[in-house]
Amino acid sequence: MAVEAKELKGAQKATEKGALSQKGEARCPGAPSTQEIIAADKVAAPKWVRSESYEFLGDEDISTDRYIEPAFAKEEFDKLWTRTWQFACREENIPQIGDYQVYDVGPYSFIITRVGPKDIRAYFNACLHRGTKLRASGSEGCASEFQCSFHGWSWNIDGTSKNVVCEWDFPHVDRKKLSLPQAKVEVLGGFVFINMDPAAPSLAEYLGPQFKAHFDAWKLEERYVYLHVSKRLPCNWKLAIEAFLESYHVIHTHPQVAVSNADANTQYDVYGEHVNRFISPLGVLSPHLYGKHTEQDILDQFTLGDGGALGGSSKPTLSEGGSARQVMADMFRGMFEKATNTDLSAVSDSELLDCFSYTIFPNFFVFPGISLPMIYRFRPDPKDHRKCLYEVLFMRPVPLDGKRPDPVEPVHLRDDQSFKEAAGMDPGFGAILDQDTDNLFLQQEGLEASAKHGLTLGNYQEVRVRHFENAVEKYLAMDPKRPDIERLPPR
Amino acid sequence: MTEQAAERAFARVLNVAELPPGTKKAIEVNGVSVLVCNSNDRLYAVSNICSHAHEKLECGRMSRGWIGCPVHGARFDLATGRAMNPPAKEPIATYPVRVVDDWIEVAAG
Repeated sequence: MAVEAKELKGAQKATEKGALSQKGEARCPGAPSTQEIIAADKVAAPKWVRSESYEFLGDEDISTDRYIEPAFAKEEFDKLWTRTWQFACREENIPQIGDYQVYDVGPYSFIITRVGPKDIRAYFNACLHRGTKLRASGSEGCASEFQCSFHGWSWNIDGTSKNVVCEWDFPHVDRKKLSLPQAKVEVLGGFVFINMDPAAPSLAEYLGPQFKAHFDAWKLEERYVYLHVSKRLPCNWKLAIEAFLESYHVIHTHPQVAVSNADANTQYDVYGEHVNRFISPLGVLSPHLYGKHTEQDILDQFTLGDGGALGGSSKPTLSEGGSARQVMADMFRGMFEKATNTDLSAVSDSELLDCFSYTIFPNFFVFPGISLPMIYRFRPDPKDHRKCLYEVLFMRPVPLDGKRPDPVEPVHLRDDQSFKEAAGMDPGFGAILDQDTDNLFLQQEGLEASAKHGLTLGNYQEVRVRHFENAVEKYLAMDPKRPDIERLPPR
Repeated sequence: MTEQAAERAFARVLNVAELPPGTKKAIEVNGVSVLVCNSNDRLYAVSNICSHAHEKLECGRMSRGWIGCPVHGARFDLATGRAMNPPAKEPIATYPVRVVDDWIEVAAG
């Protein structure tokens, strides 16, 4: 401990000196970097883990009108949501031709349906007669046609007009032009993405080559969703997203986690305009707690996202001179292999243990690690800018025998329920999500009450918040672009 | 109803081998069109007629304990008959179902 304290003091001096260096260059004093922690692992991490891509993006305050003004939300619906790529559903939700799922964002609604083995479409979910939704929001099923429940106009699965009831009365309607308008669709890693803007860049272009290479390496098409939980949150959608973009809050919001989390030395990266990430090493002590805990404490306090995969096994004890991080990596490899019937021998210690949080603008999080194998999606409430819908999906590798389990039924929590109440949720992880989301109404109300009209951000640890808000600003500076059938395929 | 009467109300409809997991069959039982379903590792028997526009449910998608109407997309919980999404509001009827000597038996009508 004496050695550690000495190192810490030396590092603090170095930082004081470092204050004169370039903005954004300072890092947590006296602590190893995320890359140094990972480099010491037994099973080496792949290239996508062992890289850094931080950029200083400015240190001005972020204006708060974006969270509290209804007019700002309206502008987002007209400019941002109509131009950006969004995760609509998993491919496994619509395995057969005619299977469909309805995806809504704000006032917009789409029928995501499979027309062929490699052909998935996103139809604007409205009858071309008098506008009734062809399928109710939140629904899914299998259709041989999409028939309107009002007057019975119907469309084939491929979007062409099937029937106009009493066609003699509609000589002015050209059946050839009566196909359902479509949003753009791309599938990546088993995720179906849509974009309402016919002029939008391809998904690969939108994500950029560097991040696309990361995503491809994960082979997420070989995973399945085993738990899907949703809950309405009492805040603007952007505040909810920003609550998950940094580990800076861990020591105060999740003190129980900090014992086994390199929070202040988490790594932050940005990739182009739409993607950012952090790597938050687990199985190591928080720099805030140096000298206050032992390696055995780390083992005792570790919380696992996919706790169910370990089948309630007891936590191990540390051997002489061993590190908690290595013990946990070795233990997880065996237990996850057994629990999920998969081969993880080639998977690095870091992928097994660490929290990799990536976001794809505007509202999609992917955590490709093994111990925290999650997806988050946040959507604004179309009627209330102070509310949003949060979903968390947990993924596991498809079993070795190749049989993909059926998609799960989502669990919808009431506003007053704890995440711990969702059947299948690890209680320790549910408690973490409660801690995260219980701050949010206080932040929403505080921003409305505050005499200060800007958020102040850390240069390094909160760079993802700034990167995200920079993208919001980019889209909000554009002209409104509401979808228009005259400019949409297949016309 | 006496135990004997309840016993009589069950009608043999299918051999269990005829209804593998994830499948469903429409059967006429005492004049009632019944959909017998094998979903989520258990058997269900529900009305084959959607409560919304009276279309047949037998060609709809069945998944995770629900059946969807192929025409307008209403979904029903197979265990309770509850309508899970519009355009249906009313539930569909559910019927007792059991297996006796490898035969699926349903009490309907």
